[in-house]
Amino acid sequence: MHNPPMPLPRLVCLAAVAAVLALFAAGCGGATDDRPPQWSFISATITEPSCATVNCHSAITQRAGLDLSARDVGYDRLIGGLYVVPGNADQSSLVGWLTAAGPLRMPPDNPLSDDDIQLIEHWINDGARNN
Amino acid sequence: MHMRRRLLLSALAAGLLLLGFGGRASAYPQFQFSSGTTRCSQCHYSPAGGGLITSWGRDESGDTISLGGDGAFLHGLWEPPSWVALGADVRLAAPLYNNTGGYEAPEWDVFPMQADAYARFAFGEQVSLYLEGGIRGDTRPPDPSVSGRFDTIGDRVISNEHYLMWRPSATGPYLRAGRFFAPFGLRFVEHIFYVQRYTGFDLYNETYNVSGGYVADDWELHVSAFAPPPESFPDALQSVGVRESGGAAYGEKRFNAMAMLALQARVGVGSEASRYTGGAVGKLWLEPAKLLFLGEADFTRQQVSAASAGENQFVSYLGATVFPIRGLMAGVAYERYQSDLAVAGTGLNAADVEVNFFPWAHCEVLAFGRYQFYGPSAGDSATGSLFMLQFHYYL
Repeated sequence: MHNPPMPLPRLVCLAAVAAVLALFAAGCGGATDDRPPQWSFISATITEPSCATVNCHSAITQRAGLDLSARDVGYDRLIGGLYVVPGNADQSSLVGWLTAAGPLRMPPDNPLSDDDIQLIEHWINDGARNN
Repeated sequence: MHMRRRLLLSALAAGLLLLGFGGRASAYPQFQFSSGTTRCSQCHYSPAGGGLITSWGRDESGDTISLGGDGAFLHGLWEPPSWVALGADVRLAAPLYNNTGGYEAPEWDVFPMQADAYARFAFGEQVSLYLEGGIRGDTRPPDPSVSGRFDTIGDRVISNEHYLMWRPSATGPYLRAGRFFAPFGLRFVEHIFYVQRYTGFDLYNETYNVSGGYVADDWELHVSAFAPPPESFPDALQSVGVRESGGAAYGEKRFNAMAMLALQARVGVGSEASRYTGGAVGKLWLEPAKLLFLGEADFTRQQVSAASAGENQFVSYLGATVFPIRGLMAGVAYERYQSDLAVAGTGLNAADVEVNFFPWAHCEVLAFGRYQFYGPSAGDSATGSLFMLQFHYYL
């Protein structure tokens, strides 16, 4: 069965939707990072979505013995496993993995932004509390 | 098709199933409109698409989507009784280039990506039971710290989907309860797209749901309440990802069998944080050009209670897929995920190229390339690229 042509207003509407999508995709934001350097925030917004994926540091897989699927267990494993040295981001192997060059870098699929890494460094240098 | 060829392909599929690894219910949102069908549930038993395909979908796979062949179960060698439908998906992947990092990153490697078997049992005309099972995958080399958790094949068994459904007819109301993804957004075969990964629909993120809706010829509505698997459940029934409870709604309006616009919302409440998401999905099929545009954009407000702080996030997908000849589709896409709209440097971009070739019903060869990059405001942030081949066989 042959469909009648789509009315022009609808086509325009759909084109407008596509244009809005494209505009949104261009992104926004400023250079200032006001996010709190707190583990509860970092865990929920950075490490859980970026690191606790199925074949990596999820509760069920725990690559390298590291479970980052939730705030408390993630904190205990990072501190207990000596991935984080409270007060010293430079000596924390976690930062070394996140900033490594080439194939050594973590996460292996979606690299973290410099802003995210700096937020984690800030948290470590502030004492790396489970706050 | 010659009997010997059918038997060979069936034996190959059975062998791969024994060796394979679990994945996700396959769906191709590119086939809406482009294949001549307007509703995803015309080709899939699920009212929102994905997973085991219907006899109509099997016919389409041979007559429309691929260059030829018999799309029926076992290539038509044996027909199950009318009250049962069976199927399986097997995918082998070979990353040819991968510099996205990780000392275990598979480079020049071949690994089984998916091996899932499906069964749907009909009890009369209105009620059905859907079961899916597979073997949990592992795309990276063995890790001694993990070996104690996955010593045997039994440790890797997983069921991402299993549900009971009341659906009296192909169109009209339905209800279903069990484990599956709540209808929401574009649901591609590849789980890595940002609109899936960062909205609660990454690999093995399936939740337990009570879902209902209405499917009409030119519109459909799906409403779901979801919860994570209880912690007492065995590993085979556990999901990965943030443990949230909440609800999701997806409403789609179709226009003249060539376009659709959907609005969607999702609320997920966890012990530490909550996410409130709203967005839209759109598709436009241009028949003369054999070209399909498809896109999704979602805003999320994530509130972290312990930190008394939150952030506004954005995720989008904008793609175009062309079907130059029967059996071939090729697409490009641009993706963006910004984890905090107030911080410009958190915007991650991806450019994708994908070519799917369907030389014969049941068979697909896929080439996929991806380049990820942060914007100039992100300073020296890393980039990554990936190119992989996949072989997909479904039974």
